[in-house]
Amino acid sequence: MTKGFSPTCSTEELLIVLMSRDIRDWETCACGALSMIPAASMLLAEATTAPHIETIILGSDELSGNLGKDIHFLTQRGKLDLFYHSAVQFDAEGNFNLHVLGDPNAPTRRLPGGYGSGLMSYTAKRIFFFRTEHSTRTFVPKVDFVSGASVTPPEVKRSPEPFRLYTTMAIMSFDRQTAHYSVESIHEGFAADDVRENTGFDVNIPEPCPVTPPPSEEELHTLRTEVRERMISTGTYPEWAERVLQVQLD
Amino acid sequence: MGVPYIPVRGLAGTDVFERRDDMIMAKNPFDTDEVTVVAVAQNPDVAILHARKADKDGNALLRRHGEDVMIAQASKRVIITAEEIVDRITPDEIGGEYISAINVTAVVHAPCGAHPTGVDGYYDMDLEHIDTYITASTDDASFRSYLERYVIGKTEAEYQRLVTARVLEPAR
Repeated sequence: MTKGFSPTCSTEELLIVLMSRDIRDWETCACGALSMIPAASMLLAEATTAPHIETIILGSDELSGNLGKDIHFLTQRGKLDLFYHSAVQFDAEGNFNLHVLGDPNAPTRRLPGGYGSGLMSYTAKRIFFFRTEHSTRTFVPKVDFVSGASVTPPEVKRSPEPFRLYTTMAIMSFDRQTAHYSVESIHEGFAADDVRENTGFDVNIPEPCPVTPPPSEEELHTLRTEVRERMISTGTYPEWAERVLQVQLD
Repeated sequence: MGVPYIPVRGLAGTDVFERRDDMIMAKNPFDTDEVTVVAVAQNPDVAILHARKADKDGNALLRRHGEDVMIAQASKRVIITAEEIVDRITPDEIGGEYISAINVTAVVHAPCGAHPTGVDGYYDMDLEHIDTYITASTDDASFRSYLERYVIGKTEAEYQRLVTARVLEPAR
């Protein structure tokens, strides 16, 4: 359960709802393997505010007629509007790490994103990052390994859109021009100092800082009924949907 | 395939370049305002690819949705191992990805050759054995004992007997 929000809203549901609101109608959106939260957020947007989006969900039995290479070439030719990423570390310069923790020559943890994320984050027009926490282990002064960089020379052709980053505490964005993270809104129950204390680098926080509108009853209801049923009936992480997206009984 | 290098967008400013010497950033020769990654060709000496069916000339049906044909076309020699050897495979054969004999050096009849992974229509993955493998691979000593038990000095027939007859039954 996420502090600050309705006790009936889980961390997963929070991130799903917040990201679904920022999907623009008619966008072509994709997520990679093992992407339950992104898949649910696309389907929620499609069921609510963005009915005409094209969704590419690799982990779905029925909702994707695409292979990994279709996404690869789609994004290489600049036709993918939105892609989802997570990462284990983010730093002040807008770098992220989805590869190894610790010394890259003797890592304490190996992770799968050494290469793919370093392509997609340059070629998709918009990137939504998300983390199911907000802490100084995630937001560090310098990442252990740069899997993807935000600030690149002008000869590297890429979308000018800022990365957006959704956590359990705030929504932030990284502006490539100013090379700085800014908080866009802070979730109910948290203050600017909570964000500062749990972010291991300087982040711009507007004063006063907007409060993230919490997931509404209607959004949660659609997620827990329509989206849940669609995930189950289409083989889109059905066991996950059954377990995580549940109408709460009072 | 067989090209000397290939351009790809992405990766600028990452630490990937510190750890690999097979990719560099280079100017796009057709648009000098752009730099992209240029990756040197990967040309394996030998590719070993497992097929559902092959004929004795080397035409074969590989797994669907893979990159096997591309790997074959980049490799110096290609060995096809196959569940079944049949009279003739044509480009119109359904049930897998066709590879023509011009790409293939040798064919081996190797039923159950994908174990512990599976082959659609023949047998499922042996999850129990994959678990054994993953557990064994967590440190050098346990992996060495895995290799001694299943691989080193073992013939294919001995390996297949060791991993139980269960996987030889067609999955239906």
